[in-house]
Order: sequence, then C-alpha cells, then structure tokens
Amino acid sequence: MNNDFSKPQRESAFGIIIMGAHTMLKIGKATFFLFVIAFVKMSGSSFTFLMLGIAAIIVFSLIFAYLWYLKFTFFLDKEKQEFVVNKGILNRDQVIIQLDKIQQVNINQNILQKMIGVYGLKIDTAGAHGEEVSIKAIDEISAYILKEHLLNGENTTITQREVEQDNDKAAAAPFLKLSSWTLLKVGLTSNYGQSLALLVAFFYTVIYEGRQLLDAFKIDKDEIQSTVTGMLTIVTVFILIACLLILLLIINLIRTSYKYFELEISEHSNTLLLSSGLIAKKNTLVSPDKVQITTYSQNYFQKKLNMLNMSLKQAHFGQSKKGHEMQGNTLEIPGCNAGERDELLKMILAKVPLKEKTFIPDWRFLNLPIFFKMVLPVSIFLIMAFNIPELKPYMSAAILYVMIGVFMIYISYRRHRISVSQDFIIKTSGIWDIANEIVVPNKIQAITTFQYPWHKGVDVGHLTLHTAAGQIHFKHGNYTEIKQLVNYWLYQVESRNENWM
Amino acid sequence: MNMFIPLNMHTETTFTNEVINPDLLPKYENVQLSRLHPDYWKIICINLLIFFALLGITIAALLWFVDEVKPNAKWIIPVYITLLVSAFLLFRVSFKKRGYAIRTHDVIYKSGIIAESTTIVPLNRIQHIELNEGLFSRIYKLGSLQLFTAGGQTGHIHISGIAIDEAKRIRDLLLNKLEQLENPSTELNPNE
Repeated sequence: MNNDFSKPQRESAFGIIIMGAHTMLKIGKATFFLFVIAFVKMSGSSFTFLMLGIAAIIVFSLIFAYLWYLKFTFFLDKEKQEFVVNKGILNRDQVIIQLDKIQQVNINQNILQKMIGVYGLKIDTAGAHGEEVSIKAIDEISAYILKEHLLNGENTTITQREVEQDNDKAAAAPFLKLSSWTLLKVGLTSNYGQSLALLVAFFYTVIYEGRQLLDAFKIDKDEIQSTVTGMLTIVTVFILIACLLILLLIINLIRTSYKYFELEISEHSNTLLLSSGLIAKKNTLVSPDKVQITTYSQNYFQKKLNMLNMSLKQAHFGQSKKGHEMQGNTLEIPGCNAGERDELLKMILAKVPLKEKTFIPDWRFLNLPIFFKMVLPVSIFLIMAFNIPELKPYMSAAILYVMIGVFMIYISYRRHRISVSQDFIIKTSGIWDIANEIVVPNKIQAITTFQYPWHKGVDVGHLTLHTAAGQIHFKHGNYTEIKQLVNYWLYQVESRNENWM
Repeated sequence: MNMFIPLNMHTETTFTNEVINPDLLPKYENVQLSRLHPDYWKIICINLLIFFALLGITIAALLWFVDEVKPNAKWIIPVYITLLVSAFLLFRVSFKKRGYAIRTHDVIYKSGIIAESTTIVPLNRIQHIELNEGLFSRIYKLGSLQLFTAGGQTGHIHISGIAIDEAKRIRDLLLNKLEQLENPSTELNPNE
C-alpha cells in the first residue's frame, strides 16, 4: 500500500474476512431465534438441511465480502482537497468528502480485527446527510497516516517515521488517564437512565422471545403464570426490586468499564486523541475547534467523590436517526476531577470559562410545569378516584406525587440559570445531574426570543440559542436583559466573521 | 436600517479592543419590520378553503352514506363550523403578526399566534438559501424565501408571502453578501 493515497486503492485483503464476518453476524443476528426454534422443533432428518442453510449463509457472506472488497476503493484528491470512496456491488456509489468538512476520524479495532492485526477507520462528516465512510481493514501505519492527511488537509508531508514518533509522543503524555478505581466510581454513580433502558429492552426481548419459545416447546403457559403469581408476595416483591436494582448497578458497572476501560486523552498535533475500550480498542480524534457545545455535569454523589462527567458535542446535521447520530457525535469523558476538567476546557476553549454575570429566571418559571405536570394530572386522577371506588385507596399516593414533584420542579427552577462573560455562555440546569453547557458566542447559528402576551406586563421572556449541536434554552428571564444579551451576541457573531467549524 | 459601529475587521495590524457599551449596540427589537404582501392572505384563504372543502366533502359523504354516523350530525356540523371560523381567525392573526427585516449583517423574522417569537440569523451563518414558488403563489406573483443555517430544523427562517421580485432581490442581495463573506479579499463595503 502506498502511503500518499493519491491513487485509488483497495483496503487490506483481510477486509474480506472482516466484511464476511460482519455480514454473517448480521444475518445470524436476524435469524438467531429462527434457528433456535428450528433446532428445537426439527426431526433428525432435517439436521442436514439446517447445516446446509448455515453453510449457504457462510458462502453467501464470503462471496458478498469478496465482491465488496473488489469494488471498494478510496483515494485522496490533493488538488480538490477531497477524499473519494467508490463502492457498491451492483450499483455504483461514489462518496466524496471535502477534507475541511471532516469532523472526526475514528480508528477502531474489534476482536477479529485485533486477531488479524488490522484496524478499522471511520470518518464522521458534517455533510448534509451525516453520511459516514467506514474502511474495514487497514494496517496501523496507513491508518494513522491517512488520519493525518484527513484531519490536517494541505500541510501533510509526513513520513512513516514521523508518525511513529508522534504515536510515541502521544503514548508518553496523556494528560488524562482513567484508573480502574475511578472507573468503578463512575460506574456506580452515572448513566442510570441508559442502563435502565437497556435492562427494559433486554427483559422485553426475553419475554417476547421466551413466549415464542414456549409456543415452540408446547409448554402450558397458564401453569407458569400461576406459579409466578403464587410467588408474588410483598416480601418477594421487595427482594425482586432489590435484585433488579443490584442488577442495574452491575450492568451499569460492566457497561462503563467495557466502554471506558483505560480511557486516555492526549493532545496529538493540535487534535484530541481519545482512546478507550476493554475488548475493542477505540481511538477517536477530534479537533478542538470543531466542538460546538462543551458540557460538564455532576450529581450529588459525584460531588462528594470529586468527579465530573464531560461531554463534547459536535455538529450534527440532517435527520438524526432517533438519537443514533447525535450520540455518534457526542464524546463522553467520565470521571475527571476538577483539575482535569480545567485542563480539558483549556484545550478546547483556550481558557477556563468563568461565570461572570449570572441571570436567573423569574418565579413564573414554576407556573407551567406545576400546572401541566402536577395540577392537571392530579385533578384528572382525583376526578377519576371519586367516581371509581377501586382507585380510592391510592389517593394518598397523589399527595406524595405532588410533594415530590413540586420539590423537583423547585430544584430545577433554582438550578436554571445562564452565565455570560465576554467569551463564553454557560447554561446551568438539571435536577439530579447538574449540567453546565458551555458555548462560545461564535458558535451560535441563530437566536430566537419569544414572549407570551401575558408576560408582557411583567417583562418576562424566553431565549433559544441554536447551535450546530443542538439548542440552548433559557426560560422566563428578564426580557429586557435577554434582548440586551441578544444584541451583544449578534454583535459578537457578526463583527468577527470567524469560522464556527 | 441599523448600522453597526465601525469594526476592526480589515485593520488587523492595529488591533484595538475597546469596552463595548451594550446600550450603543444596534437593537434588534426596535427594527421596523416589513409586513407580508397583502395578496398572501388570499393564498392562505385559498389553502384553507381547499382543506375545509375536502374535509366537508368527506364529512358530508360519511353523514350521507353511513347510518351509524347520522345521529352524530348535530355535534359534527357545529364543530366543523367552529373549526372553520377559528382557523380563519387564527391564520388572520398569524398573518398580521408576521414580519421580516434584512439588516446589514442579519435577517430578522417575527411570527407567532400566541407567543411572539423573533428569530435572528446572522448572514455569516447562512448555509444556503432557497426561493420557492407554489402554484397559487405564482398566480399572485409571490414567493417564499428560506434561509438555512447549521442550527438544524429549528434554526432556520422561512418567510412566505413576499412579492417575487422583492424575494429575488433579497436573495441576490444575500447571495452577494455571502460571497463577500467567503472571499474577504474583495473589499467589503458594509454601507452599500
């Protein structure tokens, strides 16, 4: 493989194996339960058919992978500053990426790639459809040289040795390193929501597929149901809930340590290099000036343990596929302490932002959530409870709901604020996890202000800052102050004409 | 139109950084907004009439042919009429409230039926511009202008009901400015 990528070239021939395995895995995943059912139901003679089926899938995957390998070429167009990928087995697809639109380059290695000794390279762009290119097999040196070319554009005359030196340097001085002990603390204190969702999704599939299996085995469902309900007493319910909570914590721990094992961040010729992962090592390179929103957040436990979670949001365009794409463009860095946070902020924003002038919302902030989340549902519940006798014993629950709810809304009101200094906008919000979102005025794409007619007299209004990585809202602020801020930000954005990406 | 105080855009060698008095900055809230073309109200009416005609035909057909629906006629028809009247009223209010302004460095668009919302897009953040002409718009020589930013669905401005000549003029003006912003070598004169 030549190292300047100026001529169209294929990926490493090992790519056939990787792609084949990838296709097999995909087909396997889709038909897994089909196979289980077939396995259970079938008679002895159809065993050969099953084996034939599996063999067919393998052969098909390999042929597909081989064709894919033949048709997949890529090269760098130095003159136009473009990276061009040709692919497609039957149809001919050409993906052209302008180098200055590239947001990040990921160099990954999954188990199979690790065994063969190749790397996968993924390119995230800011293209209109957020389309990305993924090269499945490339050797390490080529991967890093290509990355260098992609991220630095014109000024790349790097020889192999320099890259290796660069790698050594990066390995020598990571300014943030996550120890296993910190990882444990992170796992115990953050991302409960995501783990919960995972758990629910898992149980849903188990129950759904389990039913199909039961049908296949012709087991009497009623019998199982009656034994299950027979086991449900108050004590067992509590034990069950406790078990679930422990399970949740364990899943959280495993997930965190799988994802962030040996997380290291280092500065690498003006880009940030993040590497982490237990089995599959993941390297991500980001250039700091492409980060749109920098967030650090902390909850009560984390405050006691002196640690924070940070996330760097980059631009996402087009339709986000139900959060998929947005997650791909958000880099999470858990378990920093205050010093490491400041170090990172300095890298990304050139200096540590200070909260200079803070604006707090009006007390009317409380009105809408209390009405829609408390008064409305509780009154509907009460009306129903007075008419349906079965609901009456639960009326005390409504009081508890209102008390907790009002308390939470009040906390969110106390936390909701925006701090403005000459160079930064910091929006603070949250109930349990208190997040600070930092935006440089330069990254603002558009500003919206709005006001309800009944707030005109009391001079209360709302503000939305649109950035390429999402919006920032400030609700129920002093409208005169908001207007003044907007004029100031507009002045900042319009007078400088700096690049926002 | 509002003008910006002179900036240090082209004098990189003599960079100064004076304290800015926020009161002296141009105020977006005081800009005189241009209203939409009066003919646009006719287009809104045509669209509403088509919608309600289709809805009315469906309802009439249901009332006529399906026996189960017939007893409900006494509330379906009043609901239909209230919807029709309120839709016209709401669109009238919304039409009256919309307005736009093009400043030297940004575009302002105001809209909203209940809440009045103002969106400002700086010219140097515009990604691309679209000029659309609908079927009815073409009859009345109107067009709608869309300004897209990288802020996604929410951060874009859609101004409908501008006279087509005016819309084309604005589009050319904006494109001109975008070009100047992208090639700063050509001398930029903000007071054109």
